[in-house]
Amino acid sequence: MSAILQRARTPSAPRARFWYPYLLIAPAMIVLIIVSLVPFVYAIYLSFHEARFGRVTDFVGLANYTSLLTNERFWNAFGVAALFVLIAVPIEFMLGLAGALVLNQRIRGRRVFVPLLFIPTMMAPIVVGLVWKIMLAGSWGLVSYNVIERFGILSDTSIFASPDFALYALIMIDIWQWTPFMMLAFFSGLRALPLNPFRAAAVDGATPIQIFFQLTLPMMTPLLAVIVLLRVIDAFKVFDSFFILTGGGPGRATETPSILAYKMTFEFWNIGQASALAVLVWIAFFVFCNLFYQLAKNRLKAF
Amino acid sequence: MSVAPTATQTRESRAGLLWTALLAAYALVILFPVLWMALMALKPPDLMFARPTVWLFPPTLDHFAYVIQQNFHRNLITSILLSVLSTGLVVVVGTPAAYAFARFEMWRKDDLFLFVLASRMAPPVCMAIPFYLIFTKIGLYDTIFGLTLAYMTFNLSFYIWVLRSFCRDLPVELEEAAMLEGWSRPQAFMRVVFPLLRNGVVATAVLCFIFAWNEFLFAFMLGGRDVQTLPVAIPKLVTAQGVRWGEMAVVGMVALVPVLVAVALLQRHIVRGLTLGAVKG
Amino acid sequence: MNLYCSLLRAGCAVACLAIALGASAADFSYAEAAKPYKGKSIRVLDEVTPLQEALSKIVPDFEKETGIKVDWELLNHAEVINKGQADMLSGRGYYDAVMLHGFQLGPLLTANVVRPVDDLIANKALANPGLDAGDFIERPYKTLAFHKGKQYGFLNWNYNQVYWARADLLEHPGERAAFKAKYGYDLAPAKTLEQMRDIAEFFTRKKGEKLADAILDGDFYGIVLEGVRGGSTFLSLWNNFIKSYGGDIIDAEGRPTFDRPENVQAIKLWADLWKFAPPGMAEYSLVDIPTVMGNGIAAQTIAWSDFVLGVDREGASRYAGKFVYGPVPPKAGLEGKRSVEAEPSVTVISASSKNPEATFLFLQWLVEKKQQDKLIEVGKGGVPIRESSWSAPLLNDGKLKGLFTAMRASLEVAEAKPKMPKFFEVYDALTGISQEIGLGKLTPEAGAAKGQAEMLKICTKCVL
Repeated sequence: MSAILQRARTPSAPRARFWYPYLLIAPAMIVLIIVSLVPFVYAIYLSFHEARFGRVTDFVGLANYTSLLTNERFWNAFGVAALFVLIAVPIEFMLGLAGALVLNQRIRGRRVFVPLLFIPTMMAPIVVGLVWKIMLAGSWGLVSYNVIERFGILSDTSIFASPDFALYALIMIDIWQWTPFMMLAFFSGLRALPLNPFRAAAVDGATPIQIFFQLTLPMMTPLLAVIVLLRVIDAFKVFDSFFILTGGGPGRATETPSILAYKMTFEFWNIGQASALAVLVWIAFFVFCNLFYQLAKNRLKAF
Repeated sequence: MSVAPTATQTRESRAGLLWTALLAAYALVILFPVLWMALMALKPPDLMFARPTVWLFPPTLDHFAYVIQQNFHRNLITSILLSVLSTGLVVVVGTPAAYAFARFEMWRKDDLFLFVLASRMAPPVCMAIPFYLIFTKIGLYDTIFGLTLAYMTFNLSFYIWVLRSFCRDLPVELEEAAMLEGWSRPQAFMRVVFPLLRNGVVATAVLCFIFAWNEFLFAFMLGGRDVQTLPVAIPKLVTAQGVRWGEMAVVGMVALVPVLVAVALLQRHIVRGLTLGAVKG
Repeated sequence: MNLYCSLLRAGCAVACLAIALGASAADFSYAEAAKPYKGKSIRVLDEVTPLQEALSKIVPDFEKETGIKVDWELLNHAEVINKGQADMLSGRGYYDAVMLHGFQLGPLLTANVVRPVDDLIANKALANPGLDAGDFIERPYKTLAFHKGKQYGFLNWNYNQVYWARADLLEHPGERAAFKAKYGYDLAPAKTLEQMRDIAEFFTRKKGEKLADAILDGDFYGIVLEGVRGGSTFLSLWNNFIKSYGGDIIDAEGRPTFDRPENVQAIKLWADLWKFAPPGMAEYSLVDIPTVMGNGIAAQTIAWSDFVLGVDREGASRYAGKFVYGPVPPKAGLEGKRSVEAEPSVTVISASSKNPEATFLFLQWLVEKKQQDKLIEVGKGGVPIRESSWSAPLLNDGKLKGLFTAMRASLEVAEAKPKMPKFFEVYDALTGISQEIGLGKLTPEAGAAKGQAEMLKICTKCVL
């Protein structure tokens, strides 16, 4: 075994029969085509039709798309979700990374900490919404009564009733739930780093800051890039907490594309338009992910 | 060790105590809402939202009794079954794919890799009805298998993408060297590569399990009488008599326990990391 | 002799006919009617409230009587709407019968997925002549179950709102004296909307002030209403206020008229009430209101009467037993226009059902006097659908007698929502505007104008 290991060096493509990799990815690809591509193609089909109440009727070409793109409600939803992602994900990233670094120190009882700290991510988003409703609901919420009202922080209104604060409360809740996820993923990555470079750096007398920025971070970049990208996608699609706590309100202050899609699907039963919305969101993601991937691959060597 | 600790080690362990204290404080603040909810599982209804807040109270088991009476344990079993099956399928199908994406050159590899991610890009709310319409037509509605398939849309792509980055860290020549010693490629993979990858697999699989466990929308739309998961049970507690908060706290806590136990038991794999750290030059 | 014999034979024939007719009227038997369908299985979807939970104890009797098996599924409000509609609209037909709230009928009738029951009622083998449909509470029944000459069901649930206030505060001598001094009339449960406003103003007090005999350790509010973006916020504004002022959101032809002067007056009063309500009112939905009342921080509310049953009882709230109920107040001087928010609901037969006859038998059986009386007994109260149920002892003795009297007054004027195909779009637009008006972001006039503009974008003729 050690002989094998001693011969290890930086990765490069080994010789292999050319069909071997395709064989490996085939099952996954087949599953994804059946389970994801087919319904999505069906959704595209629906988006080109007038599909009210789930009945597909006339072909309407791009009508669903134009009515969405000219509807300021659609752009508002995009804006709300974008703002949400731009604030929540970086904070989760930094807190998660910081937490992972702390966990990597000589901590007592790490075995207890890891599951405990991970609890928010382990909870169902719907339960998370309820927990925070109990905390922050106007008048009868625990924190609302004991902290906010007692100290008169918000005059005349409550958190979820205030168009200014509702979104920030939801951002805070998202950070509460997903920072542990980042923390665990990054911690796992930290543990997987080889020790030699760090030993060498210590011998050379590098400071912790230098070690972090020149050694740790670059080596972690692949994992960081993947996790951030996944989290950006999920944060943009957030639904459960928004639905339970504000329903998209007050006004349209917390109406994300997912909430809007829910209304179109389950209230207005305008399936054609909801499908068009799905396609538009998908296109936006696709463009973004492509750009991110190319950037991360070429500049950061992350892929 | 019989050797006295060095100055560095002493400094490190004192700093470690500091970090531990910091982490403990952080944990308490973060977990306070959860603790409060756990207490609600035992609190009588008239005291639950009483103002001023009631901190000490005589506990009641009524909420537990109601939950059992409503057969929520069936939901628990369904959730376990679904999450285990779904995660298992993801691991079996996804591991070779992640490895392939990390290791080999492929025609249009980047596009294929992005295609994998694409399945996660449409908001689930929008896909719920197409899925519902398709599933009801082909008879997959209200089946565990149907829901397992539906979960592939987000779990498989997540698994492949995350595991791939673990795979990248593996030294290439391990496989080659093993093959030079006479093993076939699949054997080499199983004997040499997979043991090193195990922690990454476990960590990612645990996350996939959690996503499946907590998923609500698809379980609600595509499940029916026979397939009822735990998250779906929760809206049932929003009744005309108001929200049954106590029972909701019970279900929330019960939903947490299996996952908590799984993570607690499996964390050795998650945190151990590659023991053969002296690999990269 | 011949004449005598003929007369005798005729007499016997008539007598036999009379006996036969009389017998069939008295002896309609579900067991008989169900014979061709014995052993079949039907699935019914309904909403889960204490009323249906009581009903689920009675449903097995139907199987005992007829041999038709009923799979009775209860889901909560959001689910019964989402899943019920998904099932009917997709043509799946998993459920033979689905409970629909009045407002769902507009969209579903447009989509043609509700099976009319006229042919089943005319079918002598299925219809019970002794059903006494005239006994159903008239306004809700007539506005709900009929449309353009066809009937779609009976009347299954009679959700309604009532006025709900703190009796201990309204009866307190010190408070009464102070109120009389300030407003010039006796303090009592509000009889008009203007009185409700006065009482709300009177009882809104800050922490440290006196309320009844105690010093307040937290703010107290004169009223609490729904204010969430959704729920029945806008519906309450529409039916408890706007219509009581003589206005409406549509005219007789179904054209939008949201900016009528009467509407603006009503909206002004409603918006005014927000000043006397807890700061979190914009978050409160129909399920939060009972919690707030149960916590004792508000003096009055208008809320769904079936929720009361969950709060005004031992162990559910510290203030149980201290409440008083009344009909939703009308506008002073416009008692004839009195309107109340209600949601009569009907369980309809799905157009995709494969067992409409068996389902019809079940639905008819449910609304029989016998079953309704039993339902009130088992549920220890309830919300009647039949006039004859009001005389049941459970509704007239007991601590909640005032509640049932209030319900009755509400149901007298309760109407089902108009059948609007785009109901959800209109509701979504107007709910947002209502909330903005309540929060002070729009004046009532501006809100009315905006609401009218939004409605016109959605429909120019809004009713089926």
